[in-house]
Amino acid sequence: MSRIDTVNAVPAQGLNLVQASDVTAGELTLRADAVVIGSGAGGAVAAYELARKGLDVLILEAGPYIPSSEFSEDFSDSLERLYQDHGGQTNKDGDLLLLQGRCVGGSTVVNACLAFRTPDFILEEWGEKFGLTNLSPEAMQPWFERVEKHLSIDANGEHEIAMHSQLVRAGARKLGWSVKPLKRNIRECALTGHCVSGCKTDRKQSMLVTYLPWAMAHGARLHSDTRVTRILESGGRAVGVKAEVVGHDGIKVADMHVDAGIVVLAAGAVQSPLLLLNSGLANGSGQVGKNFACHPSMYVAAKYPHEVFPWRGALLGVYVDEFLTPEKGGFILEAGGLGAVEMCLVNEPGTGKPFLQFMEEARFNSGIVTLIHDHNVGEIRWEKGRKVVDYKVADSDFPSMLAALKASAEIHFAAGAEKVFVPSIEKLEIHSVDEIDAVLARLENKPQRLRLVSYHPQGTLRMGADPASSVVAPHGETHDVKGLYVTDASLLPTSIIVNPQVTVYALASYISSEILKRTPS
Amino acid sequence: MTTKTTKQQADAALAPLAGLSRRKLLKAALWASAGTAAVVAGGFAWLRRSPLDDVAVPEGLKHLSASEYHLFHRAIEVLLPTDGTTLTPVEQIPVITNIDRFIGLVEPAIREELGIALALFDNAAVFSGLHGKRFVDLDDESARQYFDTWSAGNTLQRTLSSVVKKFVYLSYWRDPATWPPVQFDGAVSDRWGIPSLGNTPLPDESAEVTA
Repeated sequence: MSRIDTVNAVPAQGLNLVQASDVTAGELTLRADAVVIGSGAGGAVAAYELARKGLDVLILEAGPYIPSSEFSEDFSDSLERLYQDHGGQTNKDGDLLLLQGRCVGGSTVVNACLAFRTPDFILEEWGEKFGLTNLSPEAMQPWFERVEKHLSIDANGEHEIAMHSQLVRAGARKLGWSVKPLKRNIRECALTGHCVSGCKTDRKQSMLVTYLPWAMAHGARLHSDTRVTRILESGGRAVGVKAEVVGHDGIKVADMHVDAGIVVLAAGAVQSPLLLLNSGLANGSGQVGKNFACHPSMYVAAKYPHEVFPWRGALLGVYVDEFLTPEKGGFILEAGGLGAVEMCLVNEPGTGKPFLQFMEEARFNSGIVTLIHDHNVGEIRWEKGRKVVDYKVADSDFPSMLAALKASAEIHFAAGAEKVFVPSIEKLEIHSVDEIDAVLARLENKPQRLRLVSYHPQGTLRMGADPASSVVAPHGETHDVKGLYVTDASLLPTSIIVNPQVTVYALASYISSEILKRTPS
Repeated sequence: MTTKTTKQQADAALAPLAGLSRRKLLKAALWASAGTAAVVAGGFAWLRRSPLDDVAVPEGLKHLSASEYHLFHRAIEVLLPTDGTTLTPVEQIPVITNIDRFIGLVEPAIREELGIALALFDNAAVFSGLHGKRFVDLDDESARQYFDTWSAGNTLQRTLSSVVKKFVYLSYWRDPATWPPVQFDGAVSDRWGIPSLGNTPLPDESAEVTA
C-alpha cells in the first residue's frame, strides 16, 4: 500500500479536481490503493477516513462539479443541473418521483439537512433479523457522535423554526403529540429556504464543503464526469474499475482503467445495484437490486386564515415523532416549506379559477411532509438497457400512508387551518376534522392516485450475516468478492423511517475502520 | 420574457407517462376511453375534424405538431384564465413556447408515446362525456369539466390529465415574471448579501476517537 502522510491545507472555497474538460487523453490508466465510486454521503466519508490513514484514494463521480457559487436558488434550474435524470427519475408507474443528487457531493448537496440517528429499534431489528449485532445502538453511538461533531449537527434554534413549522408545532402540542425541533447539519443557517437547490453560501455541511475537501487535503484525488461502467474482479478479489469520462455535452472524451485493491461502492441505492448487475458480481444470493424501499412521501398542504409564506425561513423546522414506532403507526411528520413552482404541483385544487385562486393564496399555505416505514418490496433492474425502478406502495403499507395523512390533517386543523388539500391526482379537500375519515376513505392504493416523492432510496444491496439472503457482510464487504465494499444506503436491510444521511455517514465511518483493519500497513 | 426551458421540466411533466407503454396506450385508446361499443359499431370517427384543423400555427414552434399546438393552446386558456385575477396575465408569459421547448427535449421513444397520448386526450372527448366534439372544440365549462372528470377517472385518464396540466403549469410558473403577484421571493442570497462560509476547516483529528 502507498502511504500518503502529507496533509495539505483545505482551500477556502471550491475543490481542485479533474473534470472532463481537463482530460486531453483518450485513454487514462490510474492506480490507487482504494477507488471510491461516488462522492456523496457514503463515498466522501469513506474517502476521508481512508485517506487520513495514509491510503492513496481515488474518487470517481459520475455527475458534474457545480461549485456552490453557481447554485441558482431556482428549483427548476437546480433539478436540471444537480439531480439524477434532471429531476425526472420515477418509478415504473410514473407516480413516484425519485429525487437523488447527481453532482459532486451527491444527494448531500440537495437534501434538506435533516440529521437523525438510526432509531434504536431499527438497529435492534437488524441485529435480530439480519445478524447485524455489530450495529447495535451501543456499538453505533461513537460513530454517530463522530459524524455529528464533524458536521455541526444540532437541533434547530427558535429562530430556525419558521411560521410554517410553528403552526405544526402548535397543532401537535394542542393534540398532546410529541413534537421536537429537527436536527440539521448546518452552520449559521441564513434562512433562505433553498436547501433543496443547494446551499449557495455553504452553510449546509454537505460533502461538497466538508469530507471531500478534507479527503483531498489528505491526498485523495477526485474526478467528476466519470461514470464507472464495470467493477473488475480476479480470483474472487476486486482489482479495480473501468469507467468513462463524459463531457457535459454527453460526448465521451476518455476511457479510464483504474487498478485498485480496494473498491468502495457508494453510487447510491439505485446506481450501485445497477453497476453490480452490469459487472456480474456479488450476486450469489440473487438479492442485488432487490429489497428496494424509499420512504414514499407526500406533502400535505393546508390553507390558513393568515399569511404563512411557506418559502420563507429554514426549510424544515420541527417533526412529530408520536407515531415513530411500528406499533403506533410507523411514520413521522416533518413540518416543511415549499416554493411557488413546487406548490403548483403538489395537489389538485381544481381546474381553472380554483387553481389560480390556490396559487394566489399560496402564501397562506403551510405543509407537512410524511415519511413512512415502508416495506422493502421494490426492485432496481435493467430492462432492455434501461434502468427500471419497480416499486409500488405495498398494500400492507397503505394504512400507514392513510394514517400519516390523517394525522397531518388533524394537526393542521388543530393549528387553525381552514382546509387541507389531499395530495391526490383528483381534487380532494378536507374542510373540518369531521370530514377527514370520509374523504380519505375515497383513496385507493392504485397507480396515479397520490402524488408521491422520495428522496431516500435504500436497501438494494442489503447487509446481513447470511450470504444466502444478503449481498454485503456485516463489516461492509460483499460476501462474494473480497476487497469490494459498499458504504451507501443500499446497505440498509429495512427502511429506517427517518432521513438516512446520518445513518449512511456513520456506517461509512464504521466500514472504513473495518477496511483499514483488513488492509496491510 | 423568455425563460430557459429545461429537460428536467420536460421529464417532470412526463413522469406519469413512464408507466404507460405504447401497447397500453393504444389498447386504452381503443377500449377504455373511446368506448367499446363505438368501435364495434364501426362508427368511431377517430380523428373527428375540428375547425381549428385549418387554422395556421404560429411560426417559430419547432416541435409541436399543429394538432398538439391547438390542444395546448386550448388547455392554456382553460387552465390559466388569469383575467380578473391578481396574477401575471398569461399572454405575457411564453407558455406555448416553453411547452414547445419541453417537447423538443423529450427522448424519441417517449415523444412518440406522448403524441399518441395527446391525440387520445383530444379525441376521446368525442365519446367521453358524450361531448361529440374534440377537446379543442369544447366550450370553457365543458373543457373544465373534462379535466376534472378525467382527474378522477381511470388510471389512463388521471395520467393524461395530469400530464397536460403539468406541462401548462410548469411552463407558466417557472417564469420569474409570475412570482411577484404571489409574493414568492425567488433567489435571495445575492440580493441579501449573504457571504459564503466556504469549505469547513479540517476537524481536529488528534483528539478524535477511532475504532
